[in-house]
Amino acid sequence: MIDIRLTVNGKEYSLSIEEDKRLIDVLREDLGFIGVMEGCGEGECGACTVIMDGKTVNSCLVMGFQANGKNIITIEGLAKDGKLDPVQQAFIDVGAVQCGFCIPGAILSIRALLNENPKPTEEEIRESISGNLCRCTGYNKMLEAVERARRYENGA
Amino acid sequence: MKKRGRGIGLSFYGTGYGNGFPDVSKARVKLLEDGKVGLFVGGAEVGQGAKTVFVQIAAETLDLYTENIHLEMEDTDITPDSGTAAATRQTYNTGNAIKIACENFMEKLKEYGRRALKLNSTAGLKVEKGEVYLEIFPQKSISFRELAEMYKEETIEAEGEFIAQTVEMDPETGQGAPYWPYTFSACGVEVEVDTLTGQVDILKARLVQDVGRAINPAMVEGQMDGGFAMALGYILFEDLNLVKGKMKNMKFSKYLIPTAMDMVEVENIIVEEPESTAPFGAKGIGEPVMIPVGPAILNAIYDAVGVRITELPATPERLIKAIEEAERRANGG
Repeated sequence: MIDIRLTVNGKEYSLSIEEDKRLIDVLREDLGFIGVMEGCGEGECGACTVIMDGKTVNSCLVMGFQANGKNIITIEGLAKDGKLDPVQQAFIDVGAVQCGFCIPGAILSIRALLNENPKPTEEEIRESISGNLCRCTGYNKMLEAVERARRYENGA
Repeated sequence: MKKRGRGIGLSFYGTGYGNGFPDVSKARVKLLEDGKVGLFVGGAEVGQGAKTVFVQIAAETLDLYTENIHLEMEDTDITPDSGTAAATRQTYNTGNAIKIACENFMEKLKEYGRRALKLNSTAGLKVEKGEVYLEIFPQKSISFRELAEMYKEETIEAEGEFIAQTVEMDPETGQGAPYWPYTFSACGVEVEVDTLTGQVDILKARLVQDVGRAINPAMVEGQMDGGFAMALGYILFEDLNLVKGKMKNMKFSKYLIPTAMDMVEVENIIVEEPESTAPFGAKGIGEPVMIPVGPAILNAIYDAVGVRITELPATPERLIKAIEEAERRANGG
């Protein structure tokens, strides 16, 4: 066992985990953040995307101990005071969600992009979610959602 | 060299189980204690938007706002069987069952309204915006909430059932009436083929979908984008690579589905020509949206480089081979 300390969605946790436990399992099993989805488990589908110290990672490819001292944001951490993040709200409003399995990961990828680059080009948006495979939507409504989210963030 | 070509694909597709197979959808509608309306449907929401559409159909039929309808779909203990979320059948088949259930429910409401309002018949009673009232004398009126309170010992509910009748095709003559209704689609694309690498780029795409009536246009567009993306992968990338019955491409790193960078902007055009047997004219589009896209892409490749691809996916390797073969034949080799 190994002791780690990490911040998830603004709250600090100290816990003792197996050395070979993946971050996704720490988040889902030990801390209950089940919005982190497991698709392929080998870093190809992006369903398990979380933001770690400002960058998106596939939490199935990060070991739990590697998250020691890190600041992590999952889909559960986006809403503030009962209000959805503008990206979440925009996904709902334009109809960018179908089965929903890939959506937490896709939204976090877009959130991370907008945090760094508030005015992304279409190419940059496509690239930001290129690691989030979606079988339902054909992605185009997600692009529309980014435009909408930017309007919400500018108070429109 | 880069060569451009255009292609179209057209399809018509029969929805429902079809071919004489029994196809039944059921729904139940019930007045709840708080005066809201419970809708009980045993169909599955798999992301296609059945829940949204079902509530919209019920709200439209009952002349209620959607927030006054409480949908129960997952619990098979309390929902009637509405068949599978398959065969592009939920909007049309279950939608019809919901509309019938709501209409039967309105008759029930009128009967309870007649009793409560002490009328000699239900003639002239209207059900609108959560009230039952007499058209010629609207002061005679009672709300759903009051009815629920007054008859809380009884259950005010109704069922609806929709059966899609089809006739199996004769294996000898091919005659029959295997499906109803049919949904029509068309797709046009412009591609650019790199004759050196075999890479196919889609420059422009337009998808036209007959929906009868778009109950929720945003969701129809979502289905159209999704159908296009799925066909794009099927035609250009996705290969299980079956060798002696075993899948060789078992991972997303080998079995490639389109990413956001592969997908193109699709101009979606919704055609509304209401189907007379459908709930508010709406037909299913789940599967049809994918069908014309593949032929359109392959026809565009043919238009660009003059080769017919008959084995999918049309990978760069296959395309180069086909182009080289065509050149050899043209040179008499």
